[in-house]
Amino acid sequence: MSAVGRVKLQGIVKRHGNVTALHGVDLEIAPGEFFALLGPSGSGKTTTLRILAGLENANEGRVHVDGADVTDVEPGERDVAMVFQSYALYPHMTVYDNIAFPLRMVGTAKSAIDSAVREAAAKVRIDHLLARRPGQLSGGQQQRCALARAIVRKPRLFLLDEPLSNLDAKLRLETRVELRKLQRSLDVTTVYVTHDQEEAMTIADRMAIFMEGRIVQVGTPDEVYARPASVDVAGFIGNPPMNLLPGRIAADRLHIGDHMVALGRDLGAEREVTVGLRPAALRAGPTGLPAKIDLIEHLGDTKLVICRAGESMVKMRVDKAASFRDGDDIRIGFDPGEIHLFERQSGRRL
Amino acid sequence: MARSSDRPTRERRERRFALVLFLPAFLVLAIGTTVPLFYLLWASLWRIDLSMPWLSGFAGLENYAKMAADPRFWNSLGLTVIYTGSTVVFQVVIGLGLALLVLRIPRGQAALRIAAIMPIVLAPVVVGMFWRTLVLPPDYGLLDLVTQALGLGSHNWLGDPQLALVSVITIHTWQWTPFSFLVILASLAALPPDVFEAARIDRANAWRRFIHITLPMIRPAIAIIVIMRMMVALSAFAAIFAATGGGPGTATEILNLYAYRTSFTDLNLGYGAALAVVLLAITLLVSFLMFRLRRAA
Repeated sequence: MSAVGRVKLQGIVKRHGNVTALHGVDLEIAPGEFFALLGPSGSGKTTTLRILAGLENANEGRVHVDGADVTDVEPGERDVAMVFQSYALYPHMTVYDNIAFPLRMVGTAKSAIDSAVREAAAKVRIDHLLARRPGQLSGGQQQRCALARAIVRKPRLFLLDEPLSNLDAKLRLETRVELRKLQRSLDVTTVYVTHDQEEAMTIADRMAIFMEGRIVQVGTPDEVYARPASVDVAGFIGNPPMNLLPGRIAADRLHIGDHMVALGRDLGAEREVTVGLRPAALRAGPTGLPAKIDLIEHLGDTKLVICRAGESMVKMRVDKAASFRDGDDIRIGFDPGEIHLFERQSGRRL
Repeated sequence: MARSSDRPTRERRERRFALVLFLPAFLVLAIGTTVPLFYLLWASLWRIDLSMPWLSGFAGLENYAKMAADPRFWNSLGLTVIYTGSTVVFQVVIGLGLALLVLRIPRGQAALRIAAIMPIVLAPVVVGMFWRTLVLPPDYGLLDLVTQALGLGSHNWLGDPQLALVSVITIHTWQWTPFSFLVILASLAALPPDVFEAARIDRANAWRRFIHITLPMIRPAIAIIVIMRMMVALSAFAAIFAATGGGPGTATEILNLYAYRTSFTDLNLGYGAALAVVLLAITLLVSFLMFRLRRAA
């Protein structure tokens, strides 16, 4: 594990005029960690990254890297490298010059630059394209060039702002794997912004989930998937995300419409709740929640059965061999242990 | 089958109609530009001196040969180079500086842009008159008021041979810098901000961002400004004519003014035509070289 690249954000507030983009963000990232900032657009994840990079100033709060307060330090002096969503390559320079630029700016010796550029280019497999200009590269090649420019200087912090979002689906999956391998081999702390929960789940060691300018949960992908901290997180994580149904707790039982479930644990006072059920945790059976099938989506190895239970839509993932038809009346069964409960009012996990 | 055999006649009819529509424009262009141009070339090969009409006759290349030994021609050629070179450099440098400053102004850019258009829309002859009567005259001119207040004394801005050249260069620069300012401002405003952010993260300071990112990225705009303004400066006339008439003596007599004075003051039409042909040749050559340079870059 790398010894440098410890990040600490303390009470970061960012306002744009009357709009508050970040309401006090606290975050700690360990050295060598691959950390994802995940959230829907406008949730403040990119702003957080930009404040960490020094491209924007926070209105309140401090930014610490390796124990030093860098809140008022210029981006160039923070020893961080960044890959932009648009790649932001220098269009008038060759790939070689693009990669060499950060080294030239600090007066590195020519021979050292040359070997560093070739090494970085080889790592992302664009060493045959060094003489080209960005305009002559494909999207994937431009992305690699931006990566090479970032890794060439061996920064203590590697910042990635939706680096895969401009690639096509197939290339995105391939690059995701490569990015992960690259980060492991470089052993550099990486902060990765994405709105794609699947991307964050597969690539990150840990992640922070942003909603409306606040961090609502921090944890490993497994933790976040297994125990979403709020209804918002539950509705965001997983593909498709968790089914969320209105329910009520009364007399130690959970009521979903007319259906009743005994959970075998203390449920506390009588109240309104939101019930979360993962599509893969559901199965059709002789007993359970009554529903009517609206539509069946074939996903290849599985099927997604979309049905209506009372007022709610429920998605159920079933085996491809299961024989259902549109319009069938079924009963949806589930193991009580698979139930996630959230307080209706606050959305917090119970 | 019938339809496909129809088509050629219809196409031919349409082409003929298009030709008829094009003809007036073609005629205007031919009568207004092409014919005078060939007449000029032809006239430059003749001895046509209205003050000495008895000497008229075909001269071949005599007018061109005469130029080589004409100190006034060489003087005017030198002035043309100085005038064109300095006005173009000033326009680009000052225009770029202003654009970089204005780009940082969060509000009021629109008002500045409108103000910048004002000198451009003035007729050059009006500009020349305005400078001659309001700005540059000794004692009561605006510039003299400033220099006297600063204790630098009064100067005959258009009467002193050396100051006169500086003055006409200033007038041209004043009128046309706003053009390069507007083009460069638009070009700067269109640059992608993330590239500059990348450069900040890549440890480039403000000066290096300017040299390594800004300048190369607006180079196409600057190249176009240089080409266009060179063409205009080479054939500048009205503002100088209105301000100094080429004087005092021949202190501001660029090639274009020398050709005019030879033709219409000295009435030596043949030699004047030859001078104009040389100016045309220089303009064409310069524009050809500039465009080639631009394509190479």
